Amino acid sequence: MNKLLCAILILALSACATVKKIESGDNLVGERLSVTLDGAWNRLDFPSIKPAQIWTMEGVTIDEFLIYSGIHDGQVMHPEGPIGGKQRNFAFHSAMQTEEIVSMFEGVLCRDNSTFKLLKLEPYQFGGKKGFRFEYERIRKVDNVQLRGVGFGAVDRGELFAMIYDAPRLTFFPRYQSKVEAIARTAVIKAS
Amino acid sequence: MNRRQLLSAAGACCAQALARQVHAQAAGTDYAAPHRFGRPDVATDEGGLWSMMDREERSLRRSPLVLRDEKLVSYVQDICCRLGSEHCPDIRAYVVRTPLFNANMAPNGMMQVWTGLLLRVENEAQLAAVLGHEIGHYLQRHSVERLRDAKSKSALAQVLGAFGAVGALGQLAVAASAFAYGREHEREADRIGAYLMHQAGYDVAESAKVWSNLLQEVKAREGGDPAQTASLFATHPAPPERQADLEQIAKSLPGGSTGDDAFAERTRRFLDDWLQDEVKRGQYAESLVLLTRHIDHGKARELMTYYRGEVHRLRGEAGDQALALADYQAAAASLDPPAAAFRGIGLISRQQGQRSEAVEALTHYLDLAPDAPDAAFIKTYLAELTS
Ligand SMILES: [Zn+2]
Repeated sequence: MNKLLCAILILALSACATVKKIESGDNLVGERLSVTLDGAWNRLDFPSIKPAQIWTMEGVTIDEFLIYSGIHDGQVMHPEGPIGGKQRNFAFHSAMQTEEIVSMFEGVLCRDNSTFKLLKLEPYQFGGKKGFRFEYERIRKVDNVQLRGVGFGAVDRGELFAMIYDAPRLTFFPRYQSKVEAIARTAVIKAS
Repeated sequence: MNRRQLLSAAGACCAQALARQVHAQAAGTDYAAPHRFGRPDVATDEGGLWSMMDREERSLRRSPLVLRDEKLVSYVQDICCRLGSEHCPDIRAYVVRTPLFNANMAPNGMMQVWTGLLLRVENEAQLAAVLGHEIGHYLQRHSVERLRDAKSKSALAQVLGAFGAVGALGQLAVAASAFAYGREHEREADRIGAYLMHQAGYDVAESAKVWSNLLQEVKAREGGDPAQTASLFATHPAPPERQADLEQIAKSLPGGSTGDDAFAERTRRFLDDWLQDEVKRGQYAESLVLLTRHIDHGKARELMTYYRGEVHRLRGEAGDQALALADYQAAAASLDPPAAAFRGIGLISRQQGQRSEAVEALTHYLDLAPDAPDAAFIKTYLAELTS
């Protein structure tokens, strides 16, 4: 039954998604966020995920690396499609405080009836700006898998820049966490 | 169930049940439950349905979303047993952590109760009303009847795959159209549920309140699709007249207890978790109706008030900050204040430029909850405020 749902999910995603390799080295995400990769990632590009990009190492039904670059005031997070479903939309606002941004991500990540538990929220210099870092655990409702996640973010000139990574907590999260932390450390939010 | 089945089932009943039935008949509601079901031959359609549900149950048992708390699970199981009497050994209750109003019972005896239901009902009798209704479907084997209804066969096949995953990936609509019981089945399950409640000593009048409460919540959502709040609506069409019917039935089955205290005692220590899940749904208008209802009834008032403050703060519409602050302050002034109420006061005071209030409240929050997940972050706010 869970396998069946996974299969449906994969079909739904692959129907509209193309996979593109993101090469090692410097990469610009959106207009103002640059990151440096040590090793390649796979990027899934399907319309419904805008304004985020989804990257993955193992496939999106396993691990998910969401990258938000230059989300502007009033912009809705994941408005349509398999991730959004028919649930409530969450929008970013420039005036949001850090705790409100984290709550917004909580809402987005719970929208499929997954659970979310914040484990840590701390200050973090992201992309050269005063930002935040958070850790969480989540039970993905669709397949009952327990995930661990980490997120980073900062607001610059009214726009949100953030990355969130989550993966099954026992195997894949420990395998890729240091890679993700390293990418976050290379992030630069450019002036233009 | 037709009249003949009903009579033959009644004929097979023990004397005590017959005596009860005479009484119930006088009250205008008669029902005699069938005896326990044997396992159907696996080669039959019903047997196939059971096997599928068995598989589903095996995976449910491993799910991290299933609550393992023995006291809570046995409490729910006991209510099922009181209602199901002879069928008690065949009913296996699971409490599933999902913040929607839902319960369902599969033909193999697997009963799923979602935490969103436990958060919404006000007492044991209201929970029993929903469980009794589900047991009613089970006793009448409505899902098997649905399976045999040629018109719904392909739809049901679809749903057998989705059963138990209702809510995932926006599958609600699919499940709703395919697994919805017909009006007749609903009416019958309501009637049987009420009868079982009465037999078990519950106040049947509580059953109508379940639906009126839920409808209030659903109406609060703009352009609301009830199925999104309550999967139960997706699988159980719930027109307002059901509420009226139940009120009518309740009049003929008077008496019984509501079980307010037992329910409050058994669920109290889970409320914080369930409320966190509720708030994260982001359905603020619905949550406000739910929380205000509980506050008005005096249920866990300080906690409900704190969470209503959270909902206002997160919604952030005009006037919400003041409402949030008022709720946080009320919660903070209570006898057993949640630490996070001081966090709320501090966050809002900070945003309003009330430095000293913010510092005082955030400091108090960290005193009460030094290991809070956001402690390191709150300290940066404190540093800014005192610099
Ligand atoms: Zn029903």
